[in-house]
Amino acid sequence: MPVPFIMPKFDMDQEKATIISWEKHEGDTVKMDETVLTVETDKVAIEVPCPADGVLAGIRYQNGETVPVTTVIAFVLKPGETDADLPKDSTPASLSKLEVVSPQPAVASSSTVAHFAATPVAVRMAKEEGIDLAKVRASGDKITREDVERYMAERTKPAGRVTVPATPAARRVAHEKNVPLEAIAGSGPRGRVQAADVLAFQAPQPLVSTSSDGRPADVVPLVGIRQRIAERMQTSFQELPHIALTVEADVTALESARLRLNGLAEKQGHGKVSMTALLVKIAAWALKRNPYVNASLIGDQIHLWHDVNIGVATALDEGLIVPVVRQAHEKSIHQIVEILGNLTSRAREGKLTLADVQHGTFTISNLGMFGIRQFRAIINPPESAILAVGTVVRKPVVINDRDEVAVRPIMTLTLSADHRVIDGVVAAYFLNDLTLAIETPETLLY
Amino acid sequence: MQKAKEKKIEPRRTSGDYIARARRLKLSDEQLVEFYGTMYTIRQFELMADKLYAMGKVHGTMHLSAGQEAVAVGTFRAVRSDDYVLNHHRGHGHFIAKGADINRMMAEFLGKDTGYCRGRGGSMHIADVEANNLGANGIVGGGIPQSVGVGLALQMQKRDQICVVLFGDGAANEGVFHESLNMAALWNLPVLFICENNKYGMSMDVERATARLPIAQRAEAYGMPWHYVDGNDVLEVYETMIGATQHVRSGQGPVLVEAMTYRYFGHSKSDRNLYRTKDEIEDWKKNRDPILRFKGHLLEAGILNEGKAAEIDAEALKVIDKAVEFAESSPEPDLSTLMEFVYA
Amino acid sequence: MPEITYLEAIRQALWDEMKRDERVFLIGEDIGRYGGAFGMTHGMLDEFGPERIRETPISEPSIIGAALGASLLGMRPVAEMMFMDFTLLTLDQLGNQAAKVRFMFGGKATAPMVVRMPGGSGTGAAAQHSQSLESLLMHIPGLKVVNPSTPYDAKGLMLSSIRDPNPVCFVEHKLLYKTKGEVPEGDYTIPLGVSEVKRQGRDLTVVANNIMVIRALKVAEKLADEGIEVEVIDPRTMRPMDTETIIASVCKTGRLLVIHEACQTGGWAGEVIATVTGSRAFDYLDTPARRLAGKDIPIPYNRALERAAVPQEEDIEQEIRAIVSGQY
Repeated sequence: MPVPFIMPKFDMDQEKATIISWEKHEGDTVKMDETVLTVETDKVAIEVPCPADGVLAGIRYQNGETVPVTTVIAFVLKPGETDADLPKDSTPASLSKLEVVSPQPAVASSSTVAHFAATPVAVRMAKEEGIDLAKVRASGDKITREDVERYMAERTKPAGRVTVPATPAARRVAHEKNVPLEAIAGSGPRGRVQAADVLAFQAPQPLVSTSSDGRPADVVPLVGIRQRIAERMQTSFQELPHIALTVEADVTALESARLRLNGLAEKQGHGKVSMTALLVKIAAWALKRNPYVNASLIGDQIHLWHDVNIGVATALDEGLIVPVVRQAHEKSIHQIVEILGNLTSRAREGKLTLADVQHGTFTISNLGMFGIRQFRAIINPPESAILAVGTVVRKPVVINDRDEVAVRPIMTLTLSADHRVIDGVVAAYFLNDLTLAIETPETLLY
Repeated sequence: MQKAKEKKIEPRRTSGDYIARARRLKLSDEQLVEFYGTMYTIRQFELMADKLYAMGKVHGTMHLSAGQEAVAVGTFRAVRSDDYVLNHHRGHGHFIAKGADINRMMAEFLGKDTGYCRGRGGSMHIADVEANNLGANGIVGGGIPQSVGVGLALQMQKRDQICVVLFGDGAANEGVFHESLNMAALWNLPVLFICENNKYGMSMDVERATARLPIAQRAEAYGMPWHYVDGNDVLEVYETMIGATQHVRSGQGPVLVEAMTYRYFGHSKSDRNLYRTKDEIEDWKKNRDPILRFKGHLLEAGILNEGKAAEIDAEALKVIDKAVEFAESSPEPDLSTLMEFVYA
Repeated sequence: MPEITYLEAIRQALWDEMKRDERVFLIGEDIGRYGGAFGMTHGMLDEFGPERIRETPISEPSIIGAALGASLLGMRPVAEMMFMDFTLLTLDQLGNQAAKVRFMFGGKATAPMVVRMPGGSGTGAAAQHSQSLESLLMHIPGLKVVNPSTPYDAKGLMLSSIRDPNPVCFVEHKLLYKTKGEVPEGDYTIPLGVSEVKRQGRDLTVVANNIMVIRALKVAEKLADEGIEVEVIDPRTMRPMDTETIIASVCKTGRLLVIHEACQTGGWAGEVIATVTGSRAFDYLDTPARRLAGKDIPIPYNRALERAAVPQEEDIEQEIRAIVSGQY
């Protein structure tokens, strides 16, 4: 076997050398330790000795070429060997750990959104929120706004946790006791939720049997969700100039529509359609026609939201919570039913996330199931209006021009509105649309 | 005021009939041939180490002692096999002369688990603690204070071994050199201090680094006997070490020996040899090489002939080749043992 | 049980062990007739003779080197650095040689040596004679670092250190030398690498070493009257440190404060806090883990400045109150 002539390593850090000149050439007789070529490393020229006696052959690199150290650059034929004995391929005789790795081409940036099939709304939303659409999973054949929202929700809440400042201990207790952290007011610095806050949240009232002045009472501390509600209601009541307008709507048509929709739902394996779900759908339609009722006054600017996100007030043991049906105006009735069902069951399990209660633009509060005929609700800031729905009462009403009276199921609805944003007339138009749609549901098909 | 011009002190050299001297030292032909063989083995070991390095098989760097073989062989044939040794980082030759297993040395070079230090030490830290070889040291002068401790223990344990500590001309300027000579002399410890002066620290010529030469004369400051010898004459080294070890072993206290020698390779593998000329290196290689000189004497006296010498050379090469084979086929240390050997 | 000082407890350990094991000897400056700079070896020269009470010239690196060399041959030297600060002179022999000899030689060498180091401030000895360098030493694999805070711990830990087959840095605090405590006569050891809960509590875990243990205990006693229960843990061995005891404590209290005299930056409090917050204790923390350490300055000479440079009882009290009242 011919002796491989390798490019030697002279320095600890050396990785390559450049051939300056071959002193001996193909076919020359050479002796061990004789200088065969001169190479250059870091501007120093070094003479390279021959590894064995024999004939120089199979030179692989020429003057001027740069070669990694330990690469085979030639061979020395031993007595009796010829060129035929030279190895055919050019794998280096020794360890290949000095291969030069070329840098990988940069990963293609995803800033050119056009590459992804996405709705214009999704594109705009992604741009506003600084989201890379490449990371969003499309539920259909295009990325929709819902897909982007779901991505956002998943992104900011790993493992179902919320981005509420809370200590590790608080999170652990909240997790163990199934308490939503965002429902708890924190007593720590910068509003941080401490373990004690979580424990207090769960603590059954009452704690003490006498009030501070000695008279007998069950004393319930204003903490957690109760405290939150108290603060918000006070702010709203004090700061927003509330006006209240009331209408009565005949729900005969809506009721029979509901029955037929239930039949459809059953056939398709969907959940039952509730009155609340219908009201959400109808209100969404009406809000789209009356943008000032779906608005927020922020600073000195009225934001007329494009999305209609309707919150549905839900009573829990601990207090009031308002999960939101997002983009209600784009949802079908059975989608709304599904979402509402999901939200309410999670609310009862204490598993609502921040996304579930954020970004509402309008609220519906329904005390009908408790027999309340009419009531005025307090607006849920930063929203500008809230619809209070009463129970359906069978009443005698005048049904035509001829003053004939019949008994009809009548629902009383009261809109509380922020007069800074919504004038009486605007509120009236909204309620008229609402009433129209309730009494003539086909309007929504129009 | 001018510094008084001192007469330059020369290293002691051999004079007179070389072989007669060997006889006076009670060295047989076999022993002399063995001296030659060992020096040749050391030289070939160093050359092979260099080759392996050029092939990229050795991680890090190495400090080769080619040219310094006579100091190694001369010392370790005079010292007892159970004497304690503390070495410096250019110590492959000393190790081999003391009788190290070349296979295990080679394996340690390649970082293998079968090496003397199980791949943990490498060229600079080879040790064989069971054979009383307390290791090579990567810190210049790092072993010198330890020799004081070894000497102290030997004295307190009332044993008759001595401690031999080798270091270079550079180490003689470390603070601990002076501390240790002082303490060893103060407590009359059984330590033989050997300064292997190969003319250069890393790139500093010893004359530019040392206020007063020879280094050995510093022993006078500590009331210690000293010798300054031609380190490239193996018999000169041997004879001096016989005397020195006797002195030390008899409880008369420490001795300092300075042996003048020369290294052919650079300090380490990054050394460009810019501080000395090619001519200087060639001069030492041709005219003052310890192996060639000694071989010449043996050939002249008929104790060796070219044929026998060639046989010995070939045998040495075989041993080295076998060692390389052993080392290359040895396993790497198991990664799962990464955290071992830190604490007892 | 007899009550003796911290200094006497260490001397007792050295004395008893030298009688029991003839391989043990002391090596250091002025330890003979003078009895040691702090009086540690008082009376020992007469008892054991100059060979075993080995006084040296002023050659710190060689003191450590000699201890190393002797220990390689099976002796059990206890070397002394008169002041911990002088250890900086010996970093080669201690850090490059003693700490690494076993590892570099593939597990074949053993260096059973002890280096005693009086450290700490409060005596007006100023910058070069007052340091607390245990954080530096802890960082070097191959060394063990031990740090007693009471006379009882001092004797037990010294006996264990001498008997340990590794190089051990035995760090003493000068201000503790005169403190008294009950110390059993006779042989007993405290294992290295075991922390001790010196006071139990449920509101806050305090981890401290040497003099800070004493100060923390005093503060804890005072705060107990107000219903604040502080748990004080003394690691005793800095390396290898028993952090499991600390982790279990934080899981109980949910609050952590680490106190040391050594300078804050690069101080071992960071090591403990990183270990704790990276463990299961993270889920139990109800307030950020805090540290109270020496200021990042050399120790000043002026008495008031010297005092202000390191945590005092009032600083500890203030910090504990702040943590427990939810200020952070």
